[in-house]
Amino acid sequence: MSISEALAQGAETAVVGLGTVFAVLIILMIVLHIMKAVFYKEPKPVETQVVEPEPVAEAKTDDIDEGELIAVLTAAIASSLNTSTYNLQIKSYRRVGKKRSAWNGAGIRETIDNRF
Amino acid sequence: MLRQMGEAMQQGNILQVIGTPLMLVVACVLLYLAIVKKFEPLLLLPIAFGMLLTNLPMELGQRLMHPQFFIDPQYLIDGHDLDMQMIASKGGLLDILYLGVKLGIYPPLIFMGIGYMTDFGPLIANPKSLLLGAAAQFGVFAAFFMALILGAMGLGFDVRDAAAIGIIGGADGPTAIFVTKTLAPALLPAIAIAAYSYMALIPVIQPPIMKAMTTKKSRSVVMKQLRPVSKTEKILFPIIVTIVVGLIVPDAVSLLGCLMLGNLAKESGVVDRIGKTMQNELMNIVTIFLGITVGATATAEQFLTPQTLGIIALGLIAFAFSTFGGLLLGNIMYAVTGGKVNPLIGSAGVSAVPMAARVSQQVGQKENPSNFLLMHAMGPNVAGVIGSAVAAGVFLAMFK
Repeated sequence: MSISEALAQGAETAVVGLGTVFAVLIILMIVLHIMKAVFYKEPKPVETQVVEPEPVAEAKTDDIDEGELIAVLTAAIASSLNTSTYNLQIKSYRRVGKKRSAWNGAGIRETIDNRF
Repeated sequence: MLRQMGEAMQQGNILQVIGTPLMLVVACVLLYLAIVKKFEPLLLLPIAFGMLLTNLPMELGQRLMHPQFFIDPQYLIDGHDLDMQMIASKGGLLDILYLGVKLGIYPPLIFMGIGYMTDFGPLIANPKSLLLGAAAQFGVFAAFFMALILGAMGLGFDVRDAAAIGIIGGADGPTAIFVTKTLAPALLPAIAIAAYSYMALIPVIQPPIMKAMTTKKSRSVVMKQLRPVSKTEKILFPIIVTIVVGLIVPDAVSLLGCLMLGNLAKESGVVDRIGKTMQNELMNIVTIFLGITVGATATAEQFLTPQTLGIIALGLIAFAFSTFGGLLLGNIMYAVTGGKVNPLIGSAGVSAVPMAARVSQQVGQKENPSNFLLMHAMGPNVAGVIGSAVAAGVFLAMFK
């Protein structure tokens, strides 16, 4: 095959080939638009109730039984240090990292890692 | 082996002397890339080991693989049909497994698993993505064109070889293998290795082109959130695609039909058990067979040719031009919509799922850290899979 023949055949195939690829995908695009028109209904903008988390959270902390919370914390520390609860005494505790709990953060990270 | 080397040395055929050891070195380099550099290890590792097995110096009868049974007209019935009797009686283990490649069984089975793992939701939500998936097939035809010219200049590529080389630009391993085993079986190892290596290199190849072709302003466009897609649409999509493609490009159906069967198995939600087999056991088994036998076709006389170098260069050109095509249309969309479309999602039309989409996300986030392009880029990305399968069907229809 000479170079001019190669040029001619290459150009012809490229036009026909790319043309077919575009034609098929454009047809699919039209089908998708029809499908959207048939099956998709614009969701009505639902009035979202604004939840104010702050007061709720505070109310909850008031309700929590201090003794129970301390018992849970003691048990957690004891198990992580491999010791008995009798060797520990909790003097004070406070919440760190207000925005998002560790479990919540770990859950979100795991979901993202799994999908992408 | 030493005797053979001595004979070859006397004939002055240097390639025959160093060919086998050189191929063993190439196999070890590929093993290194797979194990240490983690280049698509799931495929490259079996490919490289297959290469190692096939290049061990053994007598003809002991060999695990005889690529000449599938290529050399001397061994074919009437010069073109496989001699199954001979393969069954004289073939080694890998010859038998290679039948799955040669008869076109493995790539569609892999596509079934890919279909099960693919979510066409972002594409259904944004049908324009299909155009980007089509534009990113530009590289396929650009590489085809250049391969033809190189062939005319004396590198020995004919039209069928050029088509098989072009399909590297589809950035889809199974598709490339499917086309090559039919059109240019002698080039199979080089094309498969080029396709899988460049897929692994997408995060290196694409970003410079993306930055050169877009402006800072267009890169930081934040796109509107995609609409939710109903289950009905997701179930209908694979069925419709199969029918439409089947009517226009029947040669693409063995790949796309299996892709869509896998997807339907997922979206319908009624065949969980077979779905699990498709995406795990079946796909893994087939991947092992495919990798090891494709690697095993790379004997010294098949692989150590000037053509291999040409294929490696053209493969890179194919990937670059596919990226270029997608970005070009992305830029046009950016202009037409008045800046609502981020052109970076165009390069994701190169169908290496999900690497190309991830690259769009990363490049976009560098400009605007609060921008999440990933879901927008997944649309063109899965459209690219359909696009490259259609391009493959076109080549098969024209040159089979």
